[in-house]
Amino acid sequence: MPAHWLSEIMRRSHDGPFMREHDFDMTVAKTARQLTKKYGIRFDPQTPVPWDDDLADRVYQAGLELFLEVGVYNMDTSRVIRFSRDEVEEILRHEPGQVVLGEGKDAVVMKARKVEDKERPIVHSGPTGTPCSETMHPRILISCAQEPLIDCLGAGSVAMYHGQEIKPGTPLEIMGSRRDAIAARMAVTAAGRPGMHINDVAVSLTCAGKMAACNPQFGLRPSDGLLVSQMTELKTNFDQLSRVAFLLDYGIRIVDLMTPLIGGVGGGAEGTAIVSIATHLLGATCYCADYRMMSHTHLKWLNNTDRMGLWIMAEVGQALARNTRIVTLNDIYTVSGPGTEELLYEAAAGAVTGTVSGMNIQGCGCTGGSLTDHYTGLEARFAAEVSRAVVGMSRQQANELVLKILPLYEHTFDAPRRGLPFQEVYDPLTVQPKPAWTEPYARAKEKLASLGIHFVT
Amino acid sequence: MLEKYREPLSSAIAEGEAEQAVELTRQALSEGVDPLDIIQGILVPTLTRVGERFQAFEIFLPELMMAGDAAAAATTILEEAIAAKGAQRQHLGTIVLGTVAGDIHDIGKNIVSTLLRSHGFNVVDLGRDVPAIRFIEEAEKHHAAIIAMSALMTTTRPAQRDTINLLKELGKRDAFKVIVGGGCVNAEWAQAIGADGYAENAAEAVVLCKRLLQVN
Repeated sequence: MPAHWLSEIMRRSHDGPFMREHDFDMTVAKTARQLTKKYGIRFDPQTPVPWDDDLADRVYQAGLELFLEVGVYNMDTSRVIRFSRDEVEEILRHEPGQVVLGEGKDAVVMKARKVEDKERPIVHSGPTGTPCSETMHPRILISCAQEPLIDCLGAGSVAMYHGQEIKPGTPLEIMGSRRDAIAARMAVTAAGRPGMHINDVAVSLTCAGKMAACNPQFGLRPSDGLLVSQMTELKTNFDQLSRVAFLLDYGIRIVDLMTPLIGGVGGGAEGTAIVSIATHLLGATCYCADYRMMSHTHLKWLNNTDRMGLWIMAEVGQALARNTRIVTLNDIYTVSGPGTEELLYEAAAGAVTGTVSGMNIQGCGCTGGSLTDHYTGLEARFAAEVSRAVVGMSRQQANELVLKILPLYEHTFDAPRRGLPFQEVYDPLTVQPKPAWTEPYARAKEKLASLGIHFVT
Repeated sequence: MLEKYREPLSSAIAEGEAEQAVELTRQALSEGVDPLDIIQGILVPTLTRVGERFQAFEIFLPELMMAGDAAAAATTILEEAIAAKGAQRQHLGTIVLGTVAGDIHDIGKNIVSTLLRSHGFNVVDLGRDVPAIRFIEEAEKHHAAIIAMSALMTTTRPAQRDTINLLKELGKRDAFKVIVGGGCVNAEWAQAIGADGYAENAAEAVVLCKRLLQVN
């Protein structure tokens, strides 16, 4: 998409129809509900990984229709940015279908994968949505970057700077953003993968903070990526659009972060799937996104590994894979934490579902991103191993498998096993997992092997 | 006479049928039903049930929002009727609510607002990105009993403490109860910053406010 299109987005941000925000929310909710009925979309908890192509196509059409009907809300002007069907289709025609991430020998090509694709997904990891302490953050990053099956690293978020709390819009945000970018660069270098793609510096909540992360020598390079966020649902603002302006100029990969809420404005699984398609179209039309990070989140449990979350992941992945060349990944969020078998089963269910449904993978947002330092490289390794083991599997087989995995963890949602922080399950000095983590890992692998997953050795 | 309207009005609100709720409310008033009885006997219990169903994930946010809108439309008419009689609606207490400075995430805060209103609190919703001083000024202006602050991000959470510290600095800490919530907030944080309470979700926020104000 040409950069001058951003000028047109700005024009529509000022000239588009005025609407109160609550009215916009209600319009999204009602339209999603109508489209669910119109297209006959039904969630079935016994089919977390559907294999109905026609259903996937109807989900896509409903999402496209929602996007055309409601548009995008600019929260700064209270105006709606609308697009014609021709405009959306023209923009989608120019989707390249793949993006090069990283540089040199560490570069990978992340593709718009197909349903039941025979090629493996690209796997991202790093504590993007998980708070980290200043002391553990660099070690957590290395634990992810050193994993051979991990292709890309998220730089994560540290809430403090030299013992002071970071507040958005202050110099500390700039300094924290610079520090975290440097930490990520050091982590990939320490892991012997200096060109590995870094997909964000999450501490920064403003455009200025994101800009501060960029430095070709010591920070993020054009071969890396930074997030431009959507506000739930289908909303943007000038700070996010300003990021697009800068990122286009810097030449860095633009990552469209969307967090559709399961049970939120979209309603249940069906409406949230429809909204999730529309949010992908927002990324194409407003953010010039190179790839998307789909972090749909359960309103109550903050995960997406429940039956609704998996179904949405599967439907959205299949709908996009069958109807567009949009490159996307599913960001696995779990209720469980490091050191527990449940975390690994949640990761496995997400990895199986995403892999056969045309998505790339990111994981894992342990404890719904709620507990400090609850993130390690081992659960990401596990997700990657499961993903490789099921590449090429049919969706019907994947559904049977996921139905066997779900009972291993879904009973814990209301009383989750939050596990232990990084320093309790890894030796921070050697950055190697301790028995407190390798033992549950071995047990989970054995269990999944008994359920029919043939791990690649 | 109230009984005649209990089921249809309750159903209209629960289904989010605002126009029908308004029409039934007008009919009930024209037949002499006391507006306070309608609020206490129909609106509050209906929205309480809707809130419980939402917490149990039996219904989702759109249903909660639509029920809230329908109840708000009916309440506007009822409050006009109460005022015309020279009376005043009794609230359980006034709560000034908002998402803290630097944070633009407000879905959770909006759910809390809807449920608090449904339980009979007067809620002054300041929206998102609310500076510390505005919480205090608005609480004073509206004679609030509680200041309620939401924060989703670890980097915006400290703004909750800023408001409490500013209250102390201005010598007004004891004038209001202060409660906190949000994705990155927990009971330990609430205690550490000297808040009067923490609620994990909207239903708990209602219970907390009732407990702090000693009302039912």
